[in-house]
Amino acid sequence: MAAGDVESSLELSLTGSGALPGGLPPARSRIFKIIVIGDSNVGKTCLTYRFCAGRFPQRTEATIGVDFRERAVTIDGERIKIQLWDTAGQERFRKSMVQHYYRNVHAVVFVYDMTNIASFHSLPSWIEECKQHLLASDIPRILVGNKCDLRNAIQVPTDLAQKFADTHSMPLFETSAKNPNDNDHVEAIFMTLAHKLKSHKPLMLSQPPDHDEIHIKPEPKAITSCWC
Amino acid sequence: MGRQSPPRNGVGVHDFDAKKKRKVAEIYRALNSDPIDVATLRRMAISEGGLLTNEIRCKVWPKLLSVNTDDLPPLPARKELREDSKDYQQVLLDVRRSLRRFPPGMPDDQREGLQEDLIDIILHVLKCNPQLHYYQGYHDIVVTVLLVVGDRLATALVEKLSTHHLRDFMDPTMDNTKHILNYLMLIIDQVNPEVHDFMQSAEVGTIFALSWLITWFGHVLSDLQHVVRLYDFFLACHPLMPIYFAAVIVLHREQEVLDCECDMASVHHLLSQIPQDLPYESLISKAGDLFVQFPPSELAKEAAQAAQAERTAASTFKDFELASVQQRPDTVLRQRFRERLRGEERLRGEERTKTILTKPRTNRFVKLAVMGLTVALGAAALAVVKSALEWAPKFELQIFP
Repeated sequence: MAAGDVESSLELSLTGSGALPGGLPPARSRIFKIIVIGDSNVGKTCLTYRFCAGRFPQRTEATIGVDFRERAVTIDGERIKIQLWDTAGQERFRKSMVQHYYRNVHAVVFVYDMTNIASFHSLPSWIEECKQHLLASDIPRILVGNKCDLRNAIQVPTDLAQKFADTHSMPLFETSAKNPNDNDHVEAIFMTLAHKLKSHKPLMLSQPPDHDEIHIKPEPKAITSCWC
Repeated sequence: MGRQSPPRNGVGVHDFDAKKKRKVAEIYRALNSDPIDVATLRRMAISEGGLLTNEIRCKVWPKLLSVNTDDLPPLPARKELREDSKDYQQVLLDVRRSLRRFPPGMPDDQREGLQEDLIDIILHVLKCNPQLHYYQGYHDIVVTVLLVVGDRLATALVEKLSTHHLRDFMDPTMDNTKHILNYLMLIIDQVNPEVHDFMQSAEVGTIFALSWLITWFGHVLSDLQHVVRLYDFFLACHPLMPIYFAAVIVLHREQEVLDCECDMASVHHLLSQIPQDLPYESLISKAGDLFVQFPPSELAKEAAQAAQAERTAASTFKDFELASVQQRPDTVLRQRFRERLRGEERLRGEERTKTILTKPRTNRFVKLAVMGLTVALGAAALAVVKSALEWAPKFELQIFP
């Protein structure tokens, strides 16, 4: 059954992490809450699923409202839970619905579809929207161009995307949630983000304002070419 | 999977068949009477098993929606429809991705044909009703109707649904939808304040139920038979019934909720994963009960009072304290009130300070007793649900004018 299919990655990661009823709470692992936004059909669900379940989902449907996926990772010996909040792309859901889920977000992933220039042109409005919802202006943000495996259909040239990313001081990643030969790339993108969060937000408090934009020392380099 | 099967032993099966036959006969009697006995049809759609077969649904759904099947308009030209529509791209994206809505095993070309029909129906309704706005999830409702009644009739039924039951979801913004979702917490609060407060402190919000509400559960239940059973129920009831049903599902899982870690992610995750093997019939009956006990008008009053209380919290609290002091100068008791402790003390307190308390919950326990009764006695439950029919869609009525 496909519904269970898409969410099955969660069950694994959620079990064993909770407090035992009645018992003492376990030493809680830190949680990084990351919100994934972008136009409809750019592949937000596939990217988050790929990272949390390790594979491309067989079929996905329009996300209605907000979906949630989670994965536990170990970084430098510390167990960390990465929570990905996968949001609906349709504009009407953003205004009154998704707002609630920006609360306490630690990082933002903007996604566009490399084969759909309109999804790239929407990015400024997503960035603006994000500014309105997030109080801290200095939380890490990254830009992901998805579907780079569809080489013949690319509408967003890398240099254009790179220029845009530079203007907004974000690292750019071009990737494909689907490409089976590219097993580690999606993983690496989210792990890069997690590393950045870990090293710069030790107490999960918002960063002091004197931190200027710090560029990631990327594990996978913030790339200018497709890895597929 | 998860089909609701009749009891396995021979006698049970026999009973079930006999009951079903009786019900079919009664439905046809209602259909053939002059004028058509719509009240009986509503009752049949709500009561156990709903309308039983798609053949019957094709006949009864139009009656429930007051759609005249004699002069269905012809379907418009496909090409024109698509060229003119500003929604075409979004609809296309959503319909293409909706493979799971079609019965497993359906041949690809048949499915693809239905997907094209689906796009046409949606665009047609939007074109004829420029005040309506497409939302992701609308296609989940339309596909359900299409699969049951075919494209011609589906177009007429969906148009009626869209201008009535679904009207609020199709506003330019989702503000009214959000407003309806607020009813979810109000209903839960009436029945189980502990669950309500737990969810409040987890700050889970109500988006986990958004797709339930705006797709009438079509997006989250994988068995079409379960979905159409619910559609029978919803088509026969007040447009707000789906939110009562959503509340009943949460309440059905109250223990799981309370056992969950009290944070947004855990509770959202738990609740958004809807179990596929829900006891649909008893949940339908409970939703009907709740609707009668806490009708929307009452909940709206409650909501208004809560909002009012919030605005005047400071002064109300002063009055409240004063009242407590005068009636029983007991600091411990006052302390307890402040903490809003529940239970006996609180109930006694409520009797005295009914008018002042921010959230009066005076009749809750009495009401729960009624609920127990009606759920236990199927016939009584039905009688109660029947009284809900007074609330049945008055088609001119806007829920939130």
